[in-house]
Amino acid sequence: MSRTRRIVLVAGAGALIAAALEAFSWGSPDLAILGAALVVSELFELRPMGRAPLPISFAVAVVLVPASTPTEYALVVGIGYLVAVAIRPEPSGLWERTLLLAERIAEGYVIRAAYRLVVDATEHTETRALVLGALAAAVIAPVIVADIVTAVREHRVASARVRGADLALVTSAMLMAVGYAGIDGEGRLGLWGPLLFSIPLLAAWYSFELLASTRRGFRQTVSALGTAPELGGLVRAGHVERVAELAVALGVELEVNAADLEHLETAALLHHLGSVCLDEPAPGTPLDPIEVARSGAAMLRASPALAPAGDIVAAEPSLHRPPGTGAPLPAALEGQILKVASAFDELTEGQDEHAAWAVEALYTGPGYVYDGRVLGALERVLSRRGLLVSED
Amino acid sequence: MAALLAAALLSLNGPAPDATALVILGLLCAFAANTSVVLPNDSAMSASFMLAVASIVVFHNDAQLLGPLLVGIAGGIYVPHIRERQWQKVFFNAGSLGLAALAAAGVYSVVPTNILESVPGQLAAAIPTALTYSLVNFVLLTLALALHDKRPINEVAEELWLGDLQIYPFALMGVLLGRLYVDVGAWIIPLFVAPILIARQAFASYLALREAQEATLSTLIRALEAKDRYTAGHVERVARFANLMGLELGLRPTLLERLRYSSLMHDIGKLVVPNQILNKPGRLTEAEFARMRDHERVSVALLRQIDFLSPVVPSLEAEEKHVPLHSMPLETRIIAVADAFDAMTSTRAYRRALTQEVAFAELRDKAGTQFDPSCVHALIAVLERRGEHYGAGHETHVADFAVPPPVVGTGSAGLGDLAIEDQKVRP
Repeated sequence: MSRTRRIVLVAGAGALIAAALEAFSWGSPDLAILGAALVVSELFELRPMGRAPLPISFAVAVVLVPASTPTEYALVVGIGYLVAVAIRPEPSGLWERTLLLAERIAEGYVIRAAYRLVVDATEHTETRALVLGALAAAVIAPVIVADIVTAVREHRVASARVRGADLALVTSAMLMAVGYAGIDGEGRLGLWGPLLFSIPLLAAWYSFELLASTRRGFRQTVSALGTAPELGGLVRAGHVERVAELAVALGVELEVNAADLEHLETAALLHHLGSVCLDEPAPGTPLDPIEVARSGAAMLRASPALAPAGDIVAAEPSLHRPPGTGAPLPAALEGQILKVASAFDELTEGQDEHAAWAVEALYTGPGYVYDGRVLGALERVLSRRGLLVSED
Repeated sequence: MAALLAAALLSLNGPAPDATALVILGLLCAFAANTSVVLPNDSAMSASFMLAVASIVVFHNDAQLLGPLLVGIAGGIYVPHIRERQWQKVFFNAGSLGLAALAAAGVYSVVPTNILESVPGQLAAAIPTALTYSLVNFVLLTLALALHDKRPINEVAEELWLGDLQIYPFALMGVLLGRLYVDVGAWIIPLFVAPILIARQAFASYLALREAQEATLSTLIRALEAKDRYTAGHVERVARFANLMGLELGLRPTLLERLRYSSLMHDIGKLVVPNQILNKPGRLTEAEFARMRDHERVSVALLRQIDFLSPVVPSLEAEEKHVPLHSMPLETRIIAVADAFDAMTSTRAYRRALTQEVAFAELRDKAGTQFDPSCVHALIAVLERRGEHYGAGHETHVADFAVPPPVVGTGSAGLGDLAIEDQKVRP
């Protein structure tokens, strides 16, 4: 089901419930509309680079806090998130969805708890500073919970540099809530407030989506180009993808920084691209790997964005030089990582059961062929994956 | 200028606006005007209009004309103009934006107070206010440009008339912002500005990234293309022709972008054709020809991996199965024409370049069967209008061929035998 269809369905259901609430005087129809908005906004997550997705539904939940009694809030947020998590396209799997629902319920709970904490700590007078502070606490609290969840699950915490989306969410949520209820009766705009003041937040969401899809399109283009030598029968099928995956794992193990990891992955995906520009050798003779690397590196170095990947490709066929034996080459470590990953895949031909044998074969080469640090990392990565059966 | 002075005098005839509000809104308005994002279709997106509308609401009860006038004027202060000492532009922009805000405030002030009290009533009042603002701005800009460039007014007007619908949500937000400002105070402003700035920053980095990636891709494609010595520049030229045709056919910016990307990638399968075959002088053997044809299969397999090109890809495959023209995506039809035109007008190993006239005649001849007539028309129209010439006598780069290419030979893109014969050229 498309996003649009989901939105129309939820909005329709919300309007029906609102009409019923109004007709039978069961309660405020606004609650049904805000509940529907909560479900819909769960389909919009701010996804900036280097940060776990941030759901816009937090802002709607903040609007709900001053608009409802504790029971109403629990009911609307509980039902809303149950529906929202059920109709979201991801995550897949019942267990994953249950976990997400638990997370959302906890986040919904801390939104109200943080708001009450600030309001109760003072004299219950609705001053601007108080309302502002309470709303700020209410929207920052679930972001912290979401951060903790990410830290536990993925062992990463977003740095302050990528917190722009957080700021947009916090300020928009405060504005939407003030717009809905006003302060001490002043400035109450009703549903118009959250409706119109969500526009900047949606604009931010849209911009982040454009940014992400542009990045994805480029990465897919690079990886598609990388498969060209395979499609031409110049390289074994799946070789470059496997090498890229292993090279990144080795890079992480050797603490290569994030930017260089990206260059390493690009280099691994494109390290055979040079082969398409060379004359086809006589049947039975392989292409000269040094020529392949030279031609590929020259191509990549032509554009500034790919030049670092070009350096890695250029460094790949070079021999490992132990420390203190002449000036280090640029991208020397990444080049050695790529070399080991590529040689490993050549030896195993993609078969996991050859892993132990391949590592042994790499170790038996002379010390100046492969970098010992990289071989150590390879051993650790493979044994974590259970591919190296211990001999004793 | 005189009108502005008169208007200022007229609006001075009343209480002075609240200084704090004036400074805050004026500064923000100038700031917004200087941080607008230029969109791919060359229009600019600015939040200064919204702040002018907000000021109309804020100053409604005291300086209902002077306040918006001053805030509007602030929106005309554009730092690059001042730095380049283009005072005329600064004065004109400040004056016209000020007058537009003033006229809009005039319209808003005649709306009965009981309507403005309810939120929906106030939002409804924002529509004629916004309309007045954009009309006044449009009329002043048209007059100024017509006088300055000495061009007929209706021609300038047609060029400027955008019918910008995007201003209305801005107007509605502006009204609510003004209302909140009056009711709850100035601290509402940062809450509002922060998400807009973040959206703007993300959008700007999207535009920058897109540009950088396109440059990277075209450099890479050019490097790869170098393996085929005889078709140097082919991909770039096809991309350029396709872009001109897309503009001629009025494609949206997103479609133009996809068109450019897919035209850069259209020959990508050639990567896997061995150099010896690509650069072989004279005729290919059957086996070699089969490998040459294989590049279409590879192109499809490669492009499949790129999500946003997927609407274009299945058609590439369909080309082989002779799917009717109209069921192909427009991009594919455009690229087919651009590809055939460049193939005919450049010297290849199998044939010398044809003249532009022969190429046009051939395209017209196959329009409706092999090529989309509207695409053929667009290419011919745009090249003739720009006075550009390609083909025999106009080639910028001809490779050295070991065996001189024959004058007559097959055409690329499945065009069959092509000959330079007089009867092919129709007047």
